[in-house]
Order: sequence, then C-alpha cells, then structure tokens
Amino acid sequence: MATAFNRMTGQIYMMWHDLEQKVQDRTWQLERANKELDAFSYSVSHDLRTPLRAINGYAIMLKEDYGPQFDAEANRIINNIVTNATRMGQLIDDLLGFARLGKKDLVLTHVDMQDLAHAVVNELLQNEDNKDYDIQITGLPVAEADAGMVRQVLVNLVSNAIKYSSKKERPVIQIGGEDHDDYTVYFVKDNGAGFDMAYADKLFGVFQRLHSQEEFEGTGVGLALVKRIIDKHHGTIRAEGHEGKGAAFYFHLPKKYKYERQQSGDLIGRG
Amino acid sequence: MVEDNPHDAELTIRALKKANLANQLIHLRDGAEALDFLYGKGLYADRNIGNRPKVILLDIKMPKVDGIEVLRQLKLHEDTRTIPVVIMTSSKEEQDIITSYDLGVNSYVVKPVDFEGFAKAVSELGFYWLITNQAIY
Repeated sequence: MATAFNRMTGQIYMMWHDLEQKVQDRTWQLERANKELDAFSYSVSHDLRTPLRAINGYAIMLKEDYGPQFDAEANRIINNIVTNATRMGQLIDDLLGFARLGKKDLVLTHVDMQDLAHAVVNELLQNEDNKDYDIQITGLPVAEADAGMVRQVLVNLVSNAIKYSSKKERPVIQIGGEDHDDYTVYFVKDNGAGFDMAYADKLFGVFQRLHSQEEFEGTGVGLALVKRIIDKHHGTIRAEGHEGKGAAFYFHLPKKYKYERQQSGDLIGRG
Repeated sequence: MVEDNPHDAELTIRALKKANLANQLIHLRDGAEALDFLYGKGLYADRNIGNRPKVILLDIKMPKVDGIEVLRQLKLHEDTRTIPVVIMTSSKEEQDIITSYDLGVNSYVVKPVDFEGFAKAVSELGFYWLITNQAIY
C-alpha cells in the first residue's frame, strides 16, 4: 500500500515537473515570438518608409527640376508615382496602428460621448471645403470606455460618413445613441453611397473595401480598426446599408465592465 | 546633420537649401563620425570643438553607433549637453520616443513619407532652431 502510494506520488511529481517544464518552454517561445513581432513592426515602420520617401522625393525632384521640359504624359506618370508612394506610406501607417492596438491596454473611464462627437465632427469638417453637411448629434449616453480608443472609433466612423456622403447634393449625418441597463449603444448614419448588404461581412476585414479607389479613396483599415477596438471593449458592432441610399453603423459597449475588470487587474495599465 | 542614408540626406539638404538654410550645414554619415566631430577625435582631431553647432539633426537608425547612443553621450557630457538635438527619424515607435525624451532630446520629428510634408517639416525645423530659437554660443 505504502509502496503503491509512494509510486503514485512520485508519478504525480514527475507529471507536475513535466508540466512546469512545458509551461516554461511555451512561455519562452511566446516571449521570443513577441520580441520577433516587435522587431518586425519596428522594421516595417522604419525600413519600409525610408525607401518610400526616397521614391516620392526623387519623383518630385524630377517634376520640379525637369517638369517644364516634359510633356503632359511624362508629368502624368510622375504624378502617379507620387500618389502611389504616398498611398503606400498611408497603408503602412494604418497597418502599424492596427497592429499596435493589439498590444495596448485599455484604460477605462467615463467618456462624454456627446462632447466627443461634437469635437470629432468639428475637427473633421475643418478639412472639408465648405460643403454644406447637415450633421445632427443627439442623445449620446456616457460610455465606459478607453477615451483615446473610443475617439478613434468616432473619428473613423464619422470620417467614413463624411467621405461616402460627400457626393450627395445634401449630405445628412446623424450621430446618436441610447442608454440601457447593461450597455450603451451608439450609431453613426449617413445618406451616402451605402453598400450592398450581401458584402456586409467584408466591411470589417483588413484591406477589404467595397468601393474602388477612384470612387472613394481609402486604405481599408479604418473599419477593421473600429471593430478591433470594440472587440477589446467586449462590445459588438454591426452595419446596415443600402446601395446609393446610405449606411448606418451601430455599436454597443457594456457597462460595469470597468469595476469588474479592475479588480482582476488585467486590463488597467498604461494607455 | 547626422544621417547614414544618402537619399534621406539629399532630400533634407534640398529642403534646407530651398529655405536658404543650408550654407553652414555639415553632413556626418553615422553616429561614430558624429561623436568624432563633436569631441574632436579621429578624422576631426584638428577641429576647434569650441565651434558648436546651433542644432544637431539626428537620425536614430544608423550603423555602428545609433542615434539614441549619440544622444545619450551628448546629454551626459558637460560640453555638449546644451546643444539642441532634434531627432529626425522614420520611427514612430513609442519606445524610441520615450527613450529620446528620457535622455533629454529637444525635439522629436517623424519624417513624413510624402516629400512636400517632409520638405515643410525640415524647413520649419530649420527656421525654428536656426533663427527663432536662441542657443548658447
């Protein structure tokens, strides 16, 4: 009996030891993978941007110094080089922003979404050449969210609404929300180009676009970023659209989230 | 200017020339050369180190001695720590930004990819540090 017991204890110890070793190995592998990823994103941000700036810069130098001697076609070609290099720079920035978000910790506070929506709209409309947008902002409840991230959500959704309604005679954008017991819900609606609901699942994928570059420019990262931020808040987002009639984005954010998570301490950290 | 990439250097020089700010520009090709220049060593043993630059435009990612290390040494050394240093880099990495300010950088500028933005940033920076700002002589 005692021998059998001792043997079993020994086996359990061996198994425990084995498991411990496996955990250590895995942790080490994960740490290494993380470091490699860091190095990778560093390299992308630095090493890819440098040659792009050279392409862009030399193309512009060519245009500035020799443009008058070139014919219209040569100038058109140079312009296309510049446009594409600039666009690739934008893509790199957007993708890096998206990748970095994965590492960021949420810092949850009460965010006055009504104020934030006004601030975002004012900021974004500054870049629009005095087009007459009808923008209605009403009834956004206070959110429990990371202020910087939820701002990014509004910036991306509202700038999309502005972009896709810009070709309308009279663009209308509605921003609002509703308070519920366990969650708050927000929406951004426009009467712009909209989209075909058949492709709704593609909206939130990285680099997925439902419009061509000629129709509406963009990198296809904006909504993927929005989705990722909402996911991090354990919220949900959905879209409704009709081609040619407009699009609406609804997202909801859970309440009381802050206090529950704060106790476990796993989500509060540097922003 | 401390910059190892000849193309970035050319673009910077062009932007400064356009703003008429390049007449006293010295281009050093990596961190080691920059330190030799600033402390009058190696190739620059004969240089009068009392002749201080008005501003140092410093790239981060360079072979041999990188920009962060150059910044660290400059800000540690009594003779050089009052020279304004502007980091000019492609890196938006939070860690680089934090480390640079920790070490006492005077400004941190991310080089834009588009040349117009880049040229504008360089000439604004040149005007500010060479004309607006009062440095210690």
